[in-house]
Amino acid sequence: MDLFLQTIMNGVLIGGILICLTIGFQLTFGVLHVIDFAVGGWAMLGGYAAYWLVALAGIDPFISIFLVFVLFALIGRAVGPLIYHVRTSRYARPDLMALAFTFGLFLLMRGGALWLWSYNSRNVESVFSGEFLTVGPVTIPVLRLSAFLMALLISLGVFLLLYRTRFGMAVRAVAQNRDHAGLMGVDVKRVSAYVYGLYTGITASAGVLIATIYSVNPSVGVRYTLFAFFVAVLAGLGSVGGVLIAGLALGLMESVVSTYVGTRYSLLVVFGVLFLVLLIAPKGVLGRGI
Amino acid sequence: MASNPGQVRGNLFRLAAIAVGLLALGVVPAFIDPYSLRIVTGALMWAGLACAWNIVGGYAGYISFGHSAFFGIGAYTTAILMQAGIGMPFLATLLPSVVIAMIVAAIIGGPTMRLRGAYFAIATWAFAEMLMQLATILDITGGTGGLSLPAYLNEFFFYYTMLAAAAASFLGVWYLIEYTRFGFRLKALRDHEPAAEAMGIRTNLVKVQAFALSAAITALFGSVFAYWTTYIDPMSVMGPEITDQMVVMVLLGGLGTIWGPALGAVVLWITNRYIWSTFGDTVVYLPVLGLIIAMVVLFLPNGLISLIVGRRRGRELISRILRKF
Repeated sequence: MDLFLQTIMNGVLIGGILICLTIGFQLTFGVLHVIDFAVGGWAMLGGYAAYWLVALAGIDPFISIFLVFVLFALIGRAVGPLIYHVRTSRYARPDLMALAFTFGLFLLMRGGALWLWSYNSRNVESVFSGEFLTVGPVTIPVLRLSAFLMALLISLGVFLLLYRTRFGMAVRAVAQNRDHAGLMGVDVKRVSAYVYGLYTGITASAGVLIATIYSVNPSVGVRYTLFAFFVAVLAGLGSVGGVLIAGLALGLMESVVSTYVGTRYSLLVVFGVLFLVLLIAPKGVLGRGI
Repeated sequence: MASNPGQVRGNLFRLAAIAVGLLALGVVPAFIDPYSLRIVTGALMWAGLACAWNIVGGYAGYISFGHSAFFGIGAYTTAILMQAGIGMPFLATLLPSVVIAMIVAAIIGGPTMRLRGAYFAIATWAFAEMLMQLATILDITGGTGGLSLPAYLNEFFFYYTMLAAAAASFLGVWYLIEYTRFGFRLKALRDHEPAAEAMGIRTNLVKVQAFALSAAITALFGSVFAYWTTYIDPMSVMGPEITDQMVVMVLLGGLGTIWGPALGAVVLWITNRYIWSTFGDTVVYLPVLGLIIAMVVLFLPNGLISLIVGRRRGRELISRILRKF
């Protein structure tokens, strides 16, 4: 029973971070109608940024996460118009070309990281590393708890932005109907670019949290892309609200499989379930809409 | 098919060009050193793989990020059947490898190709990753340790095998796409799926046929590759780099054209080998691939082939050259 409680706790804590990882991805799909293969790449680069900020400037990841957010939001704001351009171009299949474009971006990030920083994993040290809280039978690493809270804070920020500001209203309008939103005076191109910037900022921040908990190396991006896909497909592509439940579901699933079946099967099970969900309920288990 | 004299002449011209090309490729081994021969053999393999990916990506309009799975199925089928216990001869393993790949493709493709393009891309990708994980766990595939095959060190054999496989793939696909009902259906559904359906085309069936054909060709090259390198492990035959290269080669050469993928494959493979011989490894090749995809999508959506053969312009150029003789 204690083991079970511990497993559930671990799953919930990881689930919170998966929510943070996927929420921007969903926003991008809702607004730009682009599946961004580079989602794991942004997270991986965020992790490296945190590593270098600790290694070179000695800034704790829980402070540097704000710097990382701003840095990657600016990068994303610059890349966003390119993706918008491809997606709204007059190519025969703009959706597939946009998919191929983000696939190329991802390859560029993965290959660039391999080239610059080679294969070895790097740990990101934080003041919270190595401290534990004991609540009844359950041991909680302070690091994971703080990362979880930070992830929830970021996600809460996204929801406030979406539902309590004029910018958020514009984003939701574009997601509902791009043409009509444009007719109502929304600058669709600018909103899209800002949403992409917001997405890269959030995803890189999630990458900082993940790198602090585990470690970062050039090949982790593939796994994060897959996790983001999993959560997004379970929630229904483009559904921001559904991510809250789907993220926790994946966190719990991974935790339970790792504990009771074996760590080396966890990826296999994740891939298998993702595949089955795509076959049985491609529109998502939790419905859709922003 | 060809009813007017112009078309007959065009077809004769094409057949003559193909015959000359095959003859030229057939005598290549006599003129180059073994190292270069290996590079040319590799170029033939990648050209064939690009051709296979192009059936689904270029003609059906469904981007697959999971073709490494079929390459791996082919490689592992051949490797397992040639292990000491079973000991089948190499050529006999080709049929099982192709058949297994087609069956798996039909099982995977049936449900996922009903989904829209983005879901299909995710599903194939998840499937390929799942299969790679499986290959690292199972005993029959040797886990992460991989499998060794009986070594057969005859570069000429592999050159001509790859040449035969590549030529068969290209000519077969060319014939199927340009001269049969299957090809017309495929192009119809790529251009407008609802309209194709309204014309009475069973789009799901055609898509699955295309996917199975593509998987079969990919598995065939996987089989030859396994015997050629004599050692395989999950990363070398199922790793994401295989799919990456196939996608980039087709995009670079020209999506949905017959000869574009071959052009893209040759250009990229020579680049790959050049980087490998200059830097000692191919790490820098990955970011280059990524950059190429992004640039092609932004500036050259129809690929390199659109620079060379602007369809009519290219044909005029050739006829103008011919008139001078």
